[in-house]
Amino acid sequence: MDTSYSPFEIMSVVLARELTNDDTVLVGTAMPMAEAAQRLAGLTHAPNMEIVNSPIRMNVSHLKQFPMPAYFGDRRPMRWAESYWDKGHRFDDVRAWKRYVFFIGGIQVDRFGNTNLIGIGSNYNKLKFRGPGSVGTTTISAHVGRYYIVLNSHNERTFVERCDFISTFGWGEGGADARKCVGLPGGGPKLCVTPLCVMDFDEETKHMRLVSVHPGVTEAEVQAKTSFPVLRKGPVPTTAPPSEEELRVLRTRIDMAGQLRPTA
Amino acid sequence: MDTFRKLSLIGEHEASLWIEDGMTVAIGTPHPMGLIRQIIKRRVKNLTIVDGGICLDLLIAAGCVKRSVTYYGGGGFGIPVLPMFRQAVERGAMTVFECDEGTIMTGLRAAAQSLPFLPWRGGLGTSLPDVNPEFKTFSDPLSGQTLLAVPPIKPDIALLHADAADEFGNVQHIGGAGWLDPAFFRAADRTIVQVERIIPNERIRAEPEATTFARVDAVVRAPYGAHPFFSRGHYVRDEDHIKNYLNASAKAAAGDRAALDRYLDHYCYEPNDLGDYLERVGIKRLISLYEF
Repeated sequence: MDTSYSPFEIMSVVLARELTNDDTVLVGTAMPMAEAAQRLAGLTHAPNMEIVNSPIRMNVSHLKQFPMPAYFGDRRPMRWAESYWDKGHRFDDVRAWKRYVFFIGGIQVDRFGNTNLIGIGSNYNKLKFRGPGSVGTTTISAHVGRYYIVLNSHNERTFVERCDFISTFGWGEGGADARKCVGLPGGGPKLCVTPLCVMDFDEETKHMRLVSVHPGVTEAEVQAKTSFPVLRKGPVPTTAPPSEEELRVLRTRIDMAGQLRPTA
Repeated sequence: MDTFRKLSLIGEHEASLWIEDGMTVAIGTPHPMGLIRQIIKRRVKNLTIVDGGICLDLLIAAGCVKRSVTYYGGGGFGIPVLPMFRQAVERGAMTVFECDEGTIMTGLRAAAQSLPFLPWRGGLGTSLPDVNPEFKTFSDPLSGQTLLAVPPIKPDIALLHADAADEFGNVQHIGGAGWLDPAFFRAADRTIVQVERIIPNERIRAEPEATTFARVDAVVRAPYGAHPFFSRGHYVRDEDHIKNYLNASAKAAAGDRAALDRYLDHYCYEPNDLGDYLERVGIKRLISLYEF
């Protein structure tokens, strides 16, 4: 088997390793790495994991294959659903979301994990770039036990000194009590995963810091592509690459169409 | 005095006349594309569109929109932002009621419950109350906690698409009445539902617990009426058709409207009705869009 892998594949594997048997894992729209991660975990080390894809809730441990969705709103995964909740119901059980794990993207992220899906520009009424909008991230990130920031690209335009707008409050201006002060009960962002590296947040200051760099990436490259100073807890290891087994499951049971290998 | 129960079944032209310039129109998922194309054909103007997915972009392309209530204006992975939506907002040709799924749900619920606002927590600490002055933070008089006050989001009309209805407006879905549709139905002044098929009232009475929306204001028969999008239990998205549209939209945003205008002429302005449209799509394409 070809054991080389794409940046999206290693990101999917990193995220899958984060998911545990007792998690309820919620994925929204346009997040293929998160879709792949919840499938990979659910088919391998986390057979008890609950998968929630928008309104569909399921357990997939018995499946031979659990393909990536063809498009947002695809009813076909309903064949594996154990329940179906419309948006009204979904936003009624906020109290239970402390068990939930969630993933968000962004067009900008700052050192404290605040993210922006609204747009780019100094004046909201004259945006230079109109973003897609917040989807469900504003509310869901406020309540879930933990979430992961997952970015398709790592560069200075994405990793900024200050977000022009904040659609998801991470750790505000920093500090372990930042979320409590604003009145947000959820656990906040745990990791930020990019095509270059994995970052977490300092326990006290909540400043983003480097956890590992993916094989072939240097710390200098990460810093050069990040507008704020990249902190380190200690020596920075290399991200453990996907194992042959992880790649096999990913390619033969989940991503048969190769969504995670856009260049292939 | 009428001696018979009122019928809700009307034609697509008659239904489209219910949508007037300046109205607030909620668009459900699956998308009621037959009605959307009639709105475009009639060149209705200055609409406020609530949600709408990719057909928000089509309505903007046709010049029907002045404002949108939007939590997501993207087209899925690979289409970060819908091209005409992006262009119209950046040029100031339309404005956005900035929200997320939690706040739109709360606003629709406030409208359904005839309340001036409902409290919500998602949005605290973010730019939402800054960029949308209709949201305000306030101190809860009971606990003293700071919360977000979400105003009612009240559509004049909700346009939905479902599996089946009887001629009295009792609607049933395959795979659930999903997404925001139940909230739209409860919040809107009036609701029109397109359906794949009309079924006899006796079938509704045989399984009344399966009725998802009771007594909607109008029902329009529209087989394949959600094309090029999906209809649960009937057909999947027509990816080629949607890609063709999004490519035309992206070209228009880059300055060349020719392909987009051709699309609008061919699929929206020239067809007289859903039947004409489906003939242009072609039976071979339509029957290839099966779910399983």
